[in-house]
Amino acid sequence: MILHILNRPPSSSLVYRDALAAMGEDDRLLLIEDGVLGALTAQIRHFQTIEGRLFALREDLGARGLEGQCDASVQVVDVDGFVTLSEEADKTVSWF
Amino acid sequence: MASSEIDRYLSVGDARVALDPEGYLIDLSQWTPAVAEALAVEDGRQLTAEHWEVIEVIRDFYARYGASPAMRPLVKAVGQALGPEKGRSLHLMKLFPDSPAKVAARLAGLPKPANCL
Amino acid sequence: MPTHAPATGDLLVILRHAPHGSSWLREGLDAALVAAAFGQAVTLLFQGDGVLSLVEGQGPGPLGQKGTAATLDMLAMYDIESLFYDQVALAGFGFAPQQLQLPATGVEAGAIAPLIAGHRLVLTF
Repeated sequence: MILHILNRPPSSSLVYRDALAAMGEDDRLLLIEDGVLGALTAQIRHFQTIEGRLFALREDLGARGLEGQCDASVQVVDVDGFVTLSEEADKTVSWF
Repeated sequence: MASSEIDRYLSVGDARVALDPEGYLIDLSQWTPAVAEALAVEDGRQLTAEHWEVIEVIRDFYARYGASPAMRPLVKAVGQALGPEKGRSLHLMKLFPDSPAKVAARLAGLPKPANCL
Repeated sequence: MPTHAPATGDLLVILRHAPHGSSWLREGLDAALVAAAFGQAVTLLFQGDGVLSLVEGQGPGPLGQKGTAATLDMLAMYDIESLFYDQVALAGFGFAPQQLQLPATGVEAGAIAPLIAGHRLVLTF
């Protein structure tokens, strides 16, 4: 399993498409920084192909006041969870 | 990379050639074969035909690619230009001891190679 | 190199930025060169806008800024010859594979995940 990390939102950057195209079927995607905008219910359609494998960083959602808008299908993790995800991955690939 | 900080000047005939703290030319266009000779003499070395052919290869590499080669590409370039007998690190180590890519680039009036220790 | 060749190696560098607009491309190429200079087996993947770095006929910028075309030519001297590009992205800019400055292998989106899996380390630029 490879952990892909995305820090741009689908609303203003198309890098999420390259990230999705590069993901294997067991790979996971973690949204951080402005990337968490993609976790909102109103934006989640961009990530429907990887449902169940999408994560978002709690601290980045919280800092933006967005935790309440985060879609139920997204697994929200804190920084410790980020570390655990990284440890479970063979490697990480950053998209920005 | 060539630094722009002038550390000292090397006198070559009538010319004063500015060098950076590591002895690389500040202004690459000031290079002449006489500059190479003078730099080599400072290192206690006389340039032979075998040195010159490598200096030519490395200057040609820079002209083509806009960068000084690290050791591996230098070996490859020398091999391509001068044949497999000379395209070996041992040969280059003998001509330009310690760090052939750096020493040869310096004598050839090129920037310090960026991608080598 | 056939399209289905499962490329493997020590380092995969993914280049996603076009030439001239930022320093990302140059930095990515520098990382690849450093790794190759130390004997690592390096593969490059040009993705998204990054495919434009392969287009032939590039020159200096309006203020004479050095581009990256000469550096691409230099890759072979560092034994970096495993080059892939995102063929959908290239077609999206209206270019055909014959218009590339270097021999590179076009890959479809589905071939990118195996490429990533086949390398010990992946860096994106």
